[in-house]
Amino acid sequence: MTGRRRTTALIGDDNRVVVGGKTLTWRTLHKLPQLPSPAAVLVDNGADALAAVRHHAVHGTELLVATSSRVDPAMREELGESGFAVVIANGDEHSVTPAKLKRVEESGRVWLLTSGSTGRPKRIGHTLESLTTVRGQQQPRTWLVPYSPGTYAWWQVITISLTQADQGLVVIEPSELETWPAIAAEHGVTAASGTPTFWRQTIYRDTEALAKVPLEQITLGGEPVDQAILDRLHEIFPDARISWIYASSEVGASIVVHDGKAGFPKAWLDRDPDPEAERPILHVDGDELVISSPHHGAGLEGAHRTGDRVEFVDDRVLITGRLDTDEINVGGSKVSAGLVRNVLMAHPAVAWARVFARKAPLVGRMVAAEVVVEPDLGPITDADLVQWCTNRLPDYGVPRRIRFLDEIPQKETLKSDV
Amino acid sequence: MSELTRAQIRDLMGEVMKAQGKTLPTDDGADLREIGFRSLDFSELALRVEDEIGDELNFDAPGLRQIAKVGDVLDFIEQLQSA
Repeated sequence: MTGRRRTTALIGDDNRVVVGGKTLTWRTLHKLPQLPSPAAVLVDNGADALAAVRHHAVHGTELLVATSSRVDPAMREELGESGFAVVIANGDEHSVTPAKLKRVEESGRVWLLTSGSTGRPKRIGHTLESLTTVRGQQQPRTWLVPYSPGTYAWWQVITISLTQADQGLVVIEPSELETWPAIAAEHGVTAASGTPTFWRQTIYRDTEALAKVPLEQITLGGEPVDQAILDRLHEIFPDARISWIYASSEVGASIVVHDGKAGFPKAWLDRDPDPEAERPILHVDGDELVISSPHHGAGLEGAHRTGDRVEFVDDRVLITGRLDTDEINVGGSKVSAGLVRNVLMAHPAVAWARVFARKAPLVGRMVAAEVVVEPDLGPITDADLVQWCTNRLPDYGVPRRIRFLDEIPQKETLKSDV
Repeated sequence: MSELTRAQIRDLMGEVMKAQGKTLPTDDGADLREIGFRSLDFSELALRVEDEIGDELNFDAPGLRQIAKVGDVLDFIEQLQSA
């Protein structure tokens, strides 16, 4: 298995890689010194992350790659006790903290840290094969890489370029996130994947600059996707294919939708297994999405409860948010924060919204919201938004306290914690 | 931040009513049911007061009681602030 992987993994070795202001290829990236195995390679830039991936693809060593900022001292300690040497990579220099536990490496194993949106990040085991979910002949493309190194979404883009010919990469460092459209236009980016927050922020900051990027493929994932952001992207890029992907470290890329509508067709639920198509089985239990996936992480066989809440709207299944944080109980009446957020986001002047519960007398909790409005669409008041919501939601679901923020908050994962 | 005056609380109550497309009458004796001031509106008023004073109101102290008129709301919020 390892031999086949090493062969297929490097098909993209001559693909163009733009990183840190330099135009290289996978082959001409700087080389990391021989890494210990297992190794947790902590990076502060995209070039070191790519170098770690290529090292793994060539040598098959057991690897975890993540940004330094995501791995706090306690987690470094845990990694050491789990047999990982912790490597701080910085170009040609690096430091190694040896593992505290000696164990046999799992050759070919790649570890991912979950986003930690439901608590402390967990380690999920994969291989380059299980992370490579885009197969078959692809048309030549140049991919934007805005994601944080080591996340599942990052690996998705990286493996396309590593395993397929004519799939270039333009890596965006955190300091370049605000100006990425200029960099992408300069290097001819034709495909870009980002969270809805990432796309909203970009549209909010500079739609004109975004429109200059020659995008043919736009992908959204990692957070609930509402119709408003899909429509807005379609307006800016009428000829681009817009895809929504439901993926996670645990179940891999399990739902892919290209029809421009939020959610996925209800008809996709409980379909018969199709091993040829490697199709996951989607199921709803109560209001939770449950997935049995061929792309899952190691040791996660069978049905996986995602913790994501779904709602049925006409013939679609919408994912509205996390079960443990999505439901707001207002005096005994329950409302989905995701649903309220979708209503707010559908207002033409709203660029971003976060909906949450706020402790209140008599009713226990009330719906509150933080909102960023489009600067070009004139003044908008909380009363305007309350009125908008009143016409679309039950009275207990209408946000009663709305705070306006100056900009869209974003975490390192490109998510906004909505 | 200091406590709000009765007049300031009344102004906030007026804003709550206005957001619901209604008008707060000047008469403190006006019946809440008749003017359409509901428990959700009362809760929103409490949150507006909390935002103004920068502190949570302590609802445990005075205990809830019959609140039927506009003046009852103003009395109650005033009392909560000093609880």
